[in-house]
Amino acid sequence: MIDLVGLIAPNILWIIAIIIGGTLISISVHFISVGGAPAAMAQATGIGTGTVMLAAGAGIAGIIAAGAVMDLNQNLGVVLGAGGVGAMVMLAATMIVATWIYAYGVGVMPVSAKVKYDPITKYRQDLYVSQGTEGHGIPTVAFVSSLLGGLLGGLGAALAYYALMKVGTYAYSGVIPLDVHNLDLVAVVATFTIGFFFINSVIPSYNIVGTIEGFHDPKFKRWPKAAVASFLASIPLGIVAVIAVGALAFVGGL
Amino acid sequence: MTEQKMIPPNTLMAVGAVGGLVCIYLAYFLSQANPIFVFFGALGAVFASIWGADAVRRIASYGLGTGVPSIGLLALGMGIIAVLFGLALDIGPAGPIVAFIVSCAIGAIIGIISKKVVGMTIPIMVSATTEIAGAGALLILGLSIVIAGSLDYGIVVKEVIRTGFIMMIYIAGGMAMLHPHNSNLGPDETQDRLLALSAEKAGIAVVLSGFASVAGMGAIAITVLIGIIIWYVYFGKYYALVKRDAYKVVDTGLLPTEEEMQ
Repeated sequence: MIDLVGLIAPNILWIIAIIIGGTLISISVHFISVGGAPAAMAQATGIGTGTVMLAAGAGIAGIIAAGAVMDLNQNLGVVLGAGGVGAMVMLAATMIVATWIYAYGVGVMPVSAKVKYDPITKYRQDLYVSQGTEGHGIPTVAFVSSLLGGLLGGLGAALAYYALMKVGTYAYSGVIPLDVHNLDLVAVVATFTIGFFFINSVIPSYNIVGTIEGFHDPKFKRWPKAAVASFLASIPLGIVAVIAVGALAFVGGL
Repeated sequence: MTEQKMIPPNTLMAVGAVGGLVCIYLAYFLSQANPIFVFFGALGAVFASIWGADAVRRIASYGLGTGVPSIGLLALGMGIIAVLFGLALDIGPAGPIVAFIVSCAIGAIIGIISKKVVGMTIPIMVSATTEIAGAGALLILGLSIVIAGSLDYGIVVKEVIRTGFIMMIYIAGGMAMLHPHNSNLGPDETQDRLLALSAEKAGIAVVLSGFASVAGMGAIAITVLIGIIIWYVYFGKYYALVKRDAYKVVDTGLLPTEEEMQ
């Protein structure tokens, strides 16, 4: 049996960081323009897949970027920045290719059905929505909104990753501290962060019932509910994660 | 097809939870004598996936609004965190059962939060999330012991997580739980067909984790063999049930060649 108090006490700050990370991930899902299966058939605005897949894809890209950078530079700002930018790059690449396919392959123009004028470009929207559909493609406002979502999700994932890495490399009494380059530690932390990310992207998906266009969508106003839910859910997950990652230091990272 | 006899949820829960835990403990203790016995872990994973698939079936038939895969990935996400926690405590044979209980507790917490804070209206939300979390944890434990040959935290980290096989377990195991309902849902969905598909998918996961095993050639051979037998039996059963439930199954033949098109 490991010393639980000795493990949790020095890591209270990092538990709070993990909880903030989970809340950020939860808010980020509301920004990402996702239309589910109808969008894949160009019958709804957004990217044509489920919220969980998309948010998790962005989050995992963020974790990879944060992890790769953390190997070289352990500055919190650098790791967070890498995570946010990594997730944004993944989403931007997905959306620009999807836009080419919608425009040149399917033959529809990017248009939102939720607003009359695009809040960013001020272009008229409602005239261009095909009958019987709820918009199609990824209009500018949805693109920008998704990038913000990617930034928040990547920041959240990188924050959780950074916090757990700090937990793993802390010098507990009586054990040799692990190195930040220890592959076992990196693997456990990455696995945890991915599981954590999945949980915190499913909860907001239930909140928006699967589809959302971005911050201009009326459903966006529901975000505080999901943020509170993820905040509460992240508390036990953060404690459990800190114990499991910290325990790795006690087995000496093998 | 509503007159079909259904297996009650409690029976499946008993089979999944008790069967899964018993198999994992058999693997845990017997593998110390001979590593070949890790195949019990694979059987435990199959029981767990059948239980999980039935729980997914019950909850997703209310309509989640986000697609069935979300709940399968949620289950495995909760399972992974609980399993690592349970094994990290370094409490010997109590580790797996602590992981299972912690997973159920996390599932219940997420279920209560989804219901009270997010406002989901599904009546069985809490019980079903608890069940899928428990099933997810058992699935990960069962396949992990097959790969690592032990449930010692250090060995699991080294052989399952550091090698990346945990992601294979995550997706292949998640498939066994979420795919059956996702591909069978609809008005003509029947429970026995769905469970047969779950066992077939779990068979594939067992074959894959058997190949990844480090518990010796004997363990690899017998686990892969068991996986292939499970896959073969249940694929045949699933196909027979598809033929039973379908109005008609017709062979469309091969694609026409270029000459025949003209």
